[in-house]
Amino acid sequence: MSLQEQIAKRVEEKPIPSMVAFQLLKVIEDDDHSLKEVINLVANDASLTAEVLKVSNSATYYRGQPVTTVNRAVQLLGEMMVVGVAICASSSVVFNSPLEGYESVAGEMWEHSLRCAISAREIAKHSKKNMSHGLAFTAGLLHDIGKSVVSEFLVGSSEDMMELCESGAVQDYIEAERKIVGTDHAQVGYSLAKHWRLPDTVCVGIRDHHRPSEAIEEHRPLVYAVHLADLISQLGGSGTGCDSLAYRVDSNYEEYFPLDRDAMALILLKIEEDFNSIKDMLMSDRKV
Amino acid sequence: MKVNYVGVGEFLTSESPGEVVKTMALGSCVAVTMLDPKNRVVGLLHVALPDSSINKKRAEEKPGMFADTGIDMLLGEMKKYGYDRKSRLTIKLAGGARIMDPNNTFNIGKRNILAVRKYLWRYRLGAIAEDVGGTISRTIAVDVDTGKVKISSPGRGDWEL
Repeated sequence: MSLQEQIAKRVEEKPIPSMVAFQLLKVIEDDDHSLKEVINLVANDASLTAEVLKVSNSATYYRGQPVTTVNRAVQLLGEMMVVGVAICASSSVVFNSPLEGYESVAGEMWEHSLRCAISAREIAKHSKKNMSHGLAFTAGLLHDIGKSVVSEFLVGSSEDMMELCESGAVQDYIEAERKIVGTDHAQVGYSLAKHWRLPDTVCVGIRDHHRPSEAIEEHRPLVYAVHLADLISQLGGSGTGCDSLAYRVDSNYEEYFPLDRDAMALILLKIEEDFNSIKDMLMSDRKV
Repeated sequence: MKVNYVGVGEFLTSESPGEVVKTMALGSCVAVTMLDPKNRVVGLLHVALPDSSINKKRAEEKPGMFADTGIDMLLGEMKKYGYDRKSRLTIKLAGGARIMDPNNTFNIGKRNILAVRKYLWRYRLGAIAEDVGGTISRTIAVDVDTGKVKISSPGRGDWEL
């Protein structure tokens, strides 16, 4: 079997996240949704209810009284965390496994994805064109799913790949991946997103997140939002191992997002603020 | 061995034997390490942004987030352990990385490094060693017993600063 066939086979083998995770994503894509819709979805799913209650009773959130209702739990965690918990719980193999080929430990992929999602939503607020903040959140959350497949085929080659990047033989880690496995995590992520039957805009957001200038005009605001969000998260210290910071900023983002230094700094602060509340929980999961 | 983590915008001092103080991955953030050999105290600060003027309220809640307020706070902590003008602080800097960006808007790392050097200089202090810039994400660990600063990066192993 060729390498391409093996990768395609692995994509087919990845379990599809639960229905409720997709429904949650669908709800938050609409910027006018209500918290009630989120609460109802969680309450109708027994395993997600259990997961959300478990997290909201963890040390980080504990407020002296145990949380026993979904209503209270969702209010405490915030809807973004709930979506993050749902995606992680229903697709743990994608979001919560170590990425050996990237020398990344368990937990980093999920943290990077959630930080990128928050960042993409913030960046969307700076858009010159009208765009959905919720959709930016979703695409940001899912942008790196391809790494869960590609990782296995990159085991043992990180030194060569970093050498390729540093010597200037390739432009960035995406090109290095193409050299080693003939494809890259963005392209494979697109195939996986298609396999999961995600909306086209999200699939394209995943496929073009390192080359937004190559996306068709209609998709560019979303793709640029994910692109910038990914890079800002990496600058903030959250990546997925040895590809961290080995990327370049694509040209012309100013046409869609007029971000200056101060706006960037404020976005970084916002990510930290949103994330700070769950830091202890993340760290207790992390290998020290 | 006890490991104490210093998150983004946090700072810590330690004189506990056997302890290691560590940052998570730094990215464009800068870690400032201080060793006061006379009082055997180690300090570590994890700065995210150059200047607190961008958000005064945040600077009050989390002064370690910014180079100016963070250095004030860390030196204040070091003083509680006996640091004074006669102490010879050993200061080292790490982090301040970048991504490839032709316009430099994204070069927060460089601005962080420059700001840290500037605010240290206000106290007539300077770093004796730096491992900064580049497109490398670093994690640092300071051994309280020896004062040694170790840098590590995924795929690159670790080395001493």
